[in-house]
Amino acid sequence: MSHSGTGPVVSFENVSKHYGSLRAVDGLSLDLRPRETVALLGPNGAGKSTSLDMLLALRKPTSGKITMFGKDPYHAVKAGDVGAMLQSGGLMPEVTVRELVTLVTGLHPRPVPVDTTLRRAGIADIADQRVDRLSGGQTQRVRFALAIVGECDLIVLDEPTTAMDVETRQLFWADMKEEVAEGKTLLFATHYLEEADQAADRILVINRGRLLADGTPAEIKSRAGAKRMSFRLDKVNEPFLLGLPGIVSVDVRGDVVQIQSSDSDATLYAVLDAGYRPREVEIGSLGLEQAFLAITAEDDAANGAANGAQPVKETI
Amino acid sequence: MHGTLLLSRTEISRMRRNRRFLITTLAFPVVLYLLIGTRAKATVYGVDFAAYYMVAMATLGSFSGALMNNSIRISQERKEGWIRQLRLTPLPPSAYVVAKLLAAMAISVPSVVIVLLLGRFVGSVHMSAGSWISVAVVVWLGALIFAALAVAIGYRLQPDQVQPIATLIYFVFIILGGVFFPLGGTLQQIGKFTPTYEAVKISTDLVGGVSVPAGLVVGMVVWLVIFVGLAALSVRAMAESV
Repeated sequence: MSHSGTGPVVSFENVSKHYGSLRAVDGLSLDLRPRETVALLGPNGAGKSTSLDMLLALRKPTSGKITMFGKDPYHAVKAGDVGAMLQSGGLMPEVTVRELVTLVTGLHPRPVPVDTTLRRAGIADIADQRVDRLSGGQTQRVRFALAIVGECDLIVLDEPTTAMDVETRQLFWADMKEEVAEGKTLLFATHYLEEADQAADRILVINRGRLLADGTPAEIKSRAGAKRMSFRLDKVNEPFLLGLPGIVSVDVRGDVVQIQSSDSDATLYAVLDAGYRPREVEIGSLGLEQAFLAITAEDDAANGAANGAQPVKETI
Repeated sequence: MHGTLLLSRTEISRMRRNRRFLITTLAFPVVLYLLIGTRAKATVYGVDFAAYYMVAMATLGSFSGALMNNSIRISQERKEGWIRQLRLTPLPPSAYVVAKLLAAMAISVPSVVIVLLLGRFVGSVHMSAGSWISVAVVVWLGALIFAALAVAIGYRLQPDQVQPIATLIYFVFIILGGVFFPLGGTLQQIGKFTPTYEAVKISTDLVGGVSVPAGLVVGMVVWLVIFVGLAALSVRAMAESV
């Protein structure tokens, strides 16, 4: 293990990456602390892959500074401080899975036994198959294996479960939790909100290359500012409902009332104080998906007018 | 260096399994030599046809494997992201290219050796031990020259562009270089500047025991420097897009 301090594992200081007039990453600042599992969440083209590419020294920032374990990314990568799996990372064809894992293990300064890696990545049973004859999900697992061939304190995964079916995806995260339980820091990019919600203890929401929200899944959900409430009520008076405290929106269908409120307690008490007795009251958080949409939509709306809502290319 | 050698070893073992590769580097020159080299009676570049064709086929084997297979593979491996994946390992950035060059040189050894042995024992070519070694080394250097060119092409172009361009270069160097058959007249005057011609002519001069013109040796070195330079430029230009 190469990292013992308590300083940030990864630090972005006002990092930007421009492609011509396109700002793929725009003034990104963030710190990852030891032993965190962090999801980098954002729509396609938000700058997730570009950020990870810069962190892994595959691309140079246009401006700003990135450090990993206090070193510049290139030297950290060459010291074997980080295990990474990229969406765009390919495999050497014409060799068996075992030969490939053995090769990459041999390049690492602190190698893990090949059989351990094969088992952890769940590819021991396909070890003798040729790399270029695997299914999409198997290929993903081999790429994951290449990220864990050495002892290192940071693992970076770019959309790790793309091309995996639901079952494989669950197995993958079960394995991943074992890795993280050993005290590693994990940073992964995803556009699966569920995945971020379930696997991460911290979520960074990025859109248009900027950090929009940073918090626990619960905090991100509440960042959208509203709770969802529903109940049944006969003889509903819509103007009355709209006058309730904390109301964000009201939707009435027959006797079913759905409300979004920034203060669900106050809203409910006001309904009761007015003498109503609603039935089947349910109060819940907005889902992460709704929160995420609310956060990014807010940002798009704020930028849309200024930037002319330029489409962001998906390939960056 | 340990990592680079490890990668080279894996490259060699996977190439040895590739049937198409073995056919172009090994079977093709050997079969051509057995079919043609020992039958034609003529004097080319001042030596027996059997001797000329021996060095020509050895050049063909070392050069075609290094150029054709490497350029297509490098382009595919760049496109599929294997080069990116390697950049995430502790390997130095040059390791991928160095391993390709080393592997190309290693893999061309059998074809050079076999064709020269055929020349000696089937084609009855005779020269001193020192000359045999010099011929082998000159022909073998052809693999390095063309492996460097393969890096330059493979790094820069998409796989579907590499195939026709590498094939074109292959035929230009093979024909102008007088590898399939010796040229005369204007074509030979132009062909004199190709590295394939230089490799063949240096070798036939060694077989014939005449002194090798310095211009030919300088020519090969210049080609090597040019192609290594082009390769370095390609690698640098594509640094952010591999």
